[in-house]
Amino acid sequence: MSLFLASFGFGLVTAAVLAIAAVGFTMQFAVTDVLNLAYGAVMIASAFVAYALNQAGVDVWIGLLAAAVAGAAGSVLLNQGIYTPFQRRASASGIRAPITMVIVSLGMMLIIEFGLQAIVGGTNVSYTMSQGPTVKADGLVLTTVQLVIIGLSVVIMAGVHVLLRYTKLGKAMRATAANRSLARNCGIRTARIVTLTWALTGALCGIAGTVFAINNGSFGATSTDLFLVVILAAVFLGGPGQAYGAMAGALVIGLATEISAAYINPSYKYVIAFAVLLIVMAVRPGGVLGATA
Amino acid sequence: MTSAQLFYVINLLIYAGVDIVACLGLSQQFGVAGVTNFAFIIFQAAGAYTAAILSLPSQAANGGFQSYIGGWNLPWPVPWIAAAIVGGLVALPFTFLVGRRLRGDFAAVGLLVTAVMANLLVTDYRPLLNGAAGLSLVPAPLQGEYNPLSQSYQWVYAAVALVLAAAVFWLVQRVTESPYGRSLRAMRDNDLVADSLGKNLVSMRAAMLVLGGALAGLSGAILVGFINLWAPSAWGYAETIVLFAAVIIGGAGNHRGAVLGAILVPVGFEEATRYISGPPGLVDDLQWVAIGLLIVIFLWFRPQGVLPERRRLIGAGPPPVKPLDMPNDLVMMPGSPRAADATSHDGLAGSAAGRPITRSVPSGAQPDGGVVLRAVDVTRDFGGVHAVAGVSIEVRRGTLTGLIGPNGAGKSTLLAMLAGTLPVTSGQVIYAGADVTGVPAYRRARLGLVRTFQLASEFKRLTVMENLLSAVPVNRGDSLAGALRGRRYWRRDEEAAIARARDLLDRFGLSGYADTYAGDLSGGQRRLTEIMRALMAEPAMLLLDEPMAGVHPRLARQIGAQLLGLCAEGMTILMVEHELAIMDEFCDPVIVMAEGAVLASGTMASLRSRAEVVEAYLVG
Repeated sequence: MSLFLASFGFGLVTAAVLAIAAVGFTMQFAVTDVLNLAYGAVMIASAFVAYALNQAGVDVWIGLLAAAVAGAAGSVLLNQGIYTPFQRRASASGIRAPITMVIVSLGMMLIIEFGLQAIVGGTNVSYTMSQGPTVKADGLVLTTVQLVIIGLSVVIMAGVHVLLRYTKLGKAMRATAANRSLARNCGIRTARIVTLTWALTGALCGIAGTVFAINNGSFGATSTDLFLVVILAAVFLGGPGQAYGAMAGALVIGLATEISAAYINPSYKYVIAFAVLLIVMAVRPGGVLGATA
Repeated sequence: MTSAQLFYVINLLIYAGVDIVACLGLSQQFGVAGVTNFAFIIFQAAGAYTAAILSLPSQAANGGFQSYIGGWNLPWPVPWIAAAIVGGLVALPFTFLVGRRLRGDFAAVGLLVTAVMANLLVTDYRPLLNGAAGLSLVPAPLQGEYNPLSQSYQWVYAAVALVLAAAVFWLVQRVTESPYGRSLRAMRDNDLVADSLGKNLVSMRAAMLVLGGALAGLSGAILVGFINLWAPSAWGYAETIVLFAAVIIGGAGNHRGAVLGAILVPVGFEEATRYISGPPGLVDDLQWVAIGLLIVIFLWFRPQGVLPERRRLIGAGPPPVKPLDMPNDLVMMPGSPRAADATSHDGLAGSAAGRPITRSVPSGAQPDGGVVLRAVDVTRDFGGVHAVAGVSIEVRRGTLTGLIGPNGAGKSTLLAMLAGTLPVTSGQVIYAGADVTGVPAYRRARLGLVRTFQLASEFKRLTVMENLLSAVPVNRGDSLAGALRGRRYWRRDEEAAIARARDLLDRFGLSGYADTYAGDLSGGQRRLTEIMRALMAEPAMLLLDEPMAGVHPRLARQIGAQLLGLCAEGMTILMVEHELAIMDEFCDPVIVMAEGAVLASGTMASLRSRAEVVEAYLVG
């Protein structure tokens, strides 16, 4: 039982990290129709921005903010500089846009990830930080840092909810996601909305990368390769493009991977995420948990 | 040359052979058939492991320091053949991803993730294939009889690898330059449309997965027989991207391009950068960055690659009397044998090829009182919206039935359900007396129920002639087996099809455009191409979705006349159209839809006298 509770605690932390990442990924897909495979690379690159500051003596939680800014800037650059021009040309000539985009995003993943590794080297690093006192409750053991990560994730999810439901920007985002040309004809400046969405989701991506790195303990330039599988599983479980679906998917996948890790060989814990992803793709490509958002 | 230099040359030749075989497999899948297989490398791995465990002696006899299944010590060429077979078989189950339902990019991501996980599993699970350390001391082929370290052995090995590469080139070329290859390229350009023309997407994609997987497996076997070891680090997911870079740079859709790409990227690029010195790991990292850059830069500046897919010139036959500059002159073209009476119906009866365009409706139609197509209480919901709500219609044999209604009335949705492109939420579709509700679109097309699309749907990178030929329902070369039997086997079917296509091109006045890429045509010419292509499918019943949209009014009337002529020959047509003048002139009866339901039907004259119809549509 204590094994279950302990893994449940780990599951909550993983779900918290995953939710931040998955919501960002799925919203990028919603407004631009691009499965941005370079997402994991931007995550870890942002985490290294926080690492550079941390090495210079800055507290890692301030580094987190810098990572959010870096993620936002990098993502906007990626979309404006690469994806948008490719998409514009593809829609002009009308050939197989999604396939070209997924290949381009894979190329960008290589460029960012290995470009980063060329700079930071191939060895793993860690933040200099205190884990804080351990909190115990009925066999549920979490460090203060882990609790902060969970709290941060809950706050961000609430923020996304408020944004999408109650603000003009959020409504414009949803309208752009649902039908870009219709949204444009209704007077929404869709190009600006898309850029804002990439800035926002890029910030989420940067935060997710840093909390992922904190939670992992040590990390290197290619650490997010496998985590991308988990993000994709959460996103597809919730239905690609569905923000609330991604939150639910993150909770399910986060708990499932960590709890299964307690009972089977931990190196296979991602297999659960992988199996879920393929089954969802085969059976219900529109997602299982997706609420219409 | 010193023997070390010679060994290096032999090395390069063998790597070239391996990479050419692999790139040709990927070129066939991705460049020709449009199957984006981001897991390609795991099929090479499957072949390499298969060859390894079949040629290795048992664990104990091999020193006992490795752990693996098999160890049958089988003689060459058994391990190589088995590698190709296993590569193909392992690929087959992935049909569930690339088959029909899933978006191409989703399937690609699913395959990428599969490659990542497969590598992780093999790395972490030692008993099967010795885990992360991989298999070593894999015997070279026939090493009992010959000395693998001798130079003559290695020269022969290189020669065998290159001969196999040449044989594979011949094979994929044979498949691609056949009617089957044309169907694959049609699927690549627009799978939904290929489906509606009777192409079985699932079986074609499964065949491509297996063929590509087998070639990948073979390439793995050739490689492992030479380097004598195989480990997970050799087949990380990113290795697939190197092969993609090769195919994209060489020229997707052109197998010569794939050969060039294989020589340029995995062999040339990797070798050229091998000797750059730098801190450990840095050069490797920069190599990966360069591969990524090459892909992105080529896709932007030269998406067609160094050697673009070449245009297949099947020929317009006898040159047209005068080159057409505008399609408006269409049917009235001086060279057309029926120019004088093109607008009269019998002007279209009988064709130069002596074969009527129409085929008769399959038997069973007659007892239904001449009704060819019947929808019974058909419904389609999108989310909570009833796009079509309980529609029942009948289309009688030999009529040109019109379907009108305001935007959003559900006309196109109804048409898609009749053709099978969209499944019905409830209700029945009965064609030629048989319930076809559960019959997929491609099989309905083969039964003679053929549709066109509202938006332009030509196969852009097929010529007009190829667009037409792609729709021919019966061609012996339009299957993998038929294609492999070679041109002699299918030439007669092909020639007959070309003759029919030329005849149609003549009638529609587009002979001069036979060898033009359909993607380069004007809007009106595309619509014509689409109608001709639908006719090539030998339909008994045509479902046309706004065939005259965006077409010059004069041309539209000529198309209308052509359609009436076809009906006089016995064809049945259901046509969605917005233009009331067209309806007035050509369609009888006309069905009016509004808000997902049938409002009325009858002749245009009678409809104009009915208040509710006028209110809903005719006025505004």
